[in-house]
Amino acid sequence: MPGSEKELPPQKVYPLRDVPVPSHVAPFHSDYTPGVPIAIDFGKTNMRIGLVNKDSPTSIFPTVVSKSRDRKRNKMLILAGNDVYLEASNNKSNVKSPFDGQLITNWDSVETLLDYGFSHIGVSSSNGVENPIIVNESLATPYMQRAGMYQLLFEAYNAPKVVSGVDAVFAYHYNTNSPNGLVIGTGHESTNVIPIVDGNAVLTYARRLDWGGNTAAQWLNSNISLKYPYFPSKISPQNAEYLVKDHCYVSTDYQKEILDYLTLESLEEKDRVIEAPFVEVVKPQKTEEELQIEAEKRKESGRRLQEQARKQREEKLLQKEKEYEYYSALRAQLEAGPRRDVLNSLVSEGFEDVEDFTKYLSGLEKSLKKARRQNALTGDGGEEETEEPPSFPLIDVPDEQLDEDQIKEKRRQKLLKANMDARLKLKQEKEAAKLEELRKQEEDKKWRETDLKGWIKARRDRLTAILQSKKERKKRKEELSNRKSRTAQQRMKKIASLAADNNGKGDNNRKRRGGAVTIDNDPNDTFGANDDDWAIYRAISAGDDEEAEEEEEQELLEIEEALLEFDPTFTIEDTYKRQYDWRSSIVHRFLRGPRPYDPEEQHQAHQIHLNVERIRVPEVLFQPSIAGVDQAGIAELCEDTVLRRLPSMTGFSGDQQQELLQNVFISGGLSYFENFEERLRREFQSFLPVDSDVVIRRVSDPNKDAWKGMAKWSSTQGAQTSYLTRGEYLEMGVDYIKENAMGCVKL
Amino acid sequence: MSQEELDRVSDMLAGPLPFKNPNWHRKKKYKPARQLINDEQKRINSKENRTFDEVNYFTVQAPPSLKPRKTYCDITGLPTSYRAPHSQIRFYNMEVYEVVKNMASGVDQQYLGLRGANVVLR
Repeated sequence: MPGSEKELPPQKVYPLRDVPVPSHVAPFHSDYTPGVPIAIDFGKTNMRIGLVNKDSPTSIFPTVVSKSRDRKRNKMLILAGNDVYLEASNNKSNVKSPFDGQLITNWDSVETLLDYGFSHIGVSSSNGVENPIIVNESLATPYMQRAGMYQLLFEAYNAPKVVSGVDAVFAYHYNTNSPNGLVIGTGHESTNVIPIVDGNAVLTYARRLDWGGNTAAQWLNSNISLKYPYFPSKISPQNAEYLVKDHCYVSTDYQKEILDYLTLESLEEKDRVIEAPFVEVVKPQKTEEELQIEAEKRKESGRRLQEQARKQREEKLLQKEKEYEYYSALRAQLEAGPRRDVLNSLVSEGFEDVEDFTKYLSGLEKSLKKARRQNALTGDGGEEETEEPPSFPLIDVPDEQLDEDQIKEKRRQKLLKANMDARLKLKQEKEAAKLEELRKQEEDKKWRETDLKGWIKARRDRLTAILQSKKERKKRKEELSNRKSRTAQQRMKKIASLAADNNGKGDNNRKRRGGAVTIDNDPNDTFGANDDDWAIYRAISAGDDEEAEEEEEQELLEIEEALLEFDPTFTIEDTYKRQYDWRSSIVHRFLRGPRPYDPEEQHQAHQIHLNVERIRVPEVLFQPSIAGVDQAGIAELCEDTVLRRLPSMTGFSGDQQQELLQNVFISGGLSYFENFEERLRREFQSFLPVDSDVVIRRVSDPNKDAWKGMAKWSSTQGAQTSYLTRGEYLEMGVDYIKENAMGCVKL
Repeated sequence: MSQEELDRVSDMLAGPLPFKNPNWHRKKKYKPARQLINDEQKRINSKENRTFDEVNYFTVQAPPSLKPRKTYCDITGLPTSYRAPHSQIRFYNMEVYEVVKNMASGVDQQYLGLRGANVVLR
């Protein structure tokens, strides 16, 4: 229904977000106190650094470095953190993270970032940072990663003592004092499930799923590029990160929700339209007035041309008339006066003899007549000459009574008459057909009025037949495209046998008649004498019989129209067209959401629709197999940890398990996903005994809690005893590390 | 934003910082992540007196899932159990199958790659 399409309100359009350009360089702080521990949360997305006597990190900035050469000034520009986005000329490809996947690979960048961090919190001591340093490391990080970090801190910054731990555990520590709990730390490249027993992170039973915010963004991006292969603008990794952050959410019941996700009602609510920025090309719109003026101009120039032509004609006519006058006078002279003089004057005019002259004159007369008639026709605004029905007086007169010219004329009349007769016949036939059509319609109407059921049935049967033949045609086409299919083979057989037939005949004839016979004059070739012969072409055609297809299409439309009018059970929904309507196309709904699509419309061409992806991307955490990660999802990891791994631990009691279930925390960037806690609670309930109590919470501030946990922990006894001092490091190296409750273990 | 400000920050990062050891020079050369992991594996393998409950980068790796895998349409993401015989792509219904059938060569592998089921030639 075209009417209802207009009723659909436009969808809300979200812009494709990118990293905002900061307005100024990051501020430097000056409230530095020597001796107070510095906590560094060296995250893969953001780095937070600050003195632990503050409530929150002094400086937070993205973990990126950009090194580029300004060619104009021949100057190396080294930038870090948010400042990289300040440099307008800075190519995004210069912006690099020190991480490759989960591991630090570029230690130069780490050093730059630490320089940047220390100077921003105002470290002013000379020859070394005179503060104990607490730094995070990833879960069970490779030995060389830890060694690299400690080496930097001890050797480049002369730190007096250093301690490290896992960020998710720090975040847990900040959020609860409970000694037993479970923390799910979502990260940039990985997600960790870490049980905490008696206040200690138990790394033996901790597990790492190789899926995080960045992998999710990358995966979404490749999904989008397959969904919209011809999308005009590029979606950068930063864009994709924002797409995940802004539009994705965890489904509380994935299997159920995904099932109806692409229905129109659901899309109306859940489909998200994101528009990439683009420069709109505005076609100049002409006003009504301008269009009118243009049309007027065109008319005017046409009129002028006509006028010119008319004038030319008139001039010619005038000239011809003058000529005619002159020559007719000459003829009069010829008839009256002495022949010699006139003949002489004729020759001087360029005629050969009298005959030539009379011929010319009669031609002139004829053309004059014609020109006059035409002039009258156009001059008087197309007044039709009422031509009498032509008479053919000579046709019935036998040839013997006629002279040569008359015979010629008779032949002409005969031709004219035949033409006219044919036209008349055609007209009559047309009229008869019209009458027949009317009669049929009348009959049809009668049938419909007396036996509606039968009438409808006949129509419906025909409709099914047409649809069937459509289907078969399509199938045939498809099969013919495959050389090995039965249909294609049969066709080739037919063609081969046809060719063989012709060859046989040709050879025979050549023997008999000495090769004079061609395909055009072969007397033995009776092909075409029978009309059915031509059907062979249809049989061997490659399946594109457009004429028949069009005919069928026409009939289909007619029948549907009739049915729509008279069959109460046949609705617009049942029509053939509607079956191919965008509403019934799941691919359309997936690609274009609950609205029709117009590729010419510039905004729509720059829009992507996120629907299924909104829950599909976060779902990978629960079903990693969706993205081809051959690991257990976080729910299964939690299940194994709570029900199998921990109970096998010596000294782990049921009470501890109860307490653990009261303290399940989700930390890290992905914990912002809507419904994450609710979904995880459902998952826990599915594997726990029926009335078990489980409390799942998100940490209070996923961005800063790890740092705050470091600050909180720094004052505890545990922290004081687990520092590795500079002296110990210089004497025995990183191997002498002291294990602590925050997830730092000997490797 | 002023260029001078940026230059100042850049110069600060490039130049000697007061709180840094002036004699510090890093000697390590760049290693890609793949090599770092190989090195770690070698280091662990060469360790003496290993215990069954030791912790390292590899032991904390999440194990494969033991639950039955659910299958989804590779194009639309809807649950399905149909699979195209010629390309192994999962599809939701006949309409999506039309898309799968008419896929340009190579695109099917890209779709399979999204769930790690593509053929990788080495």
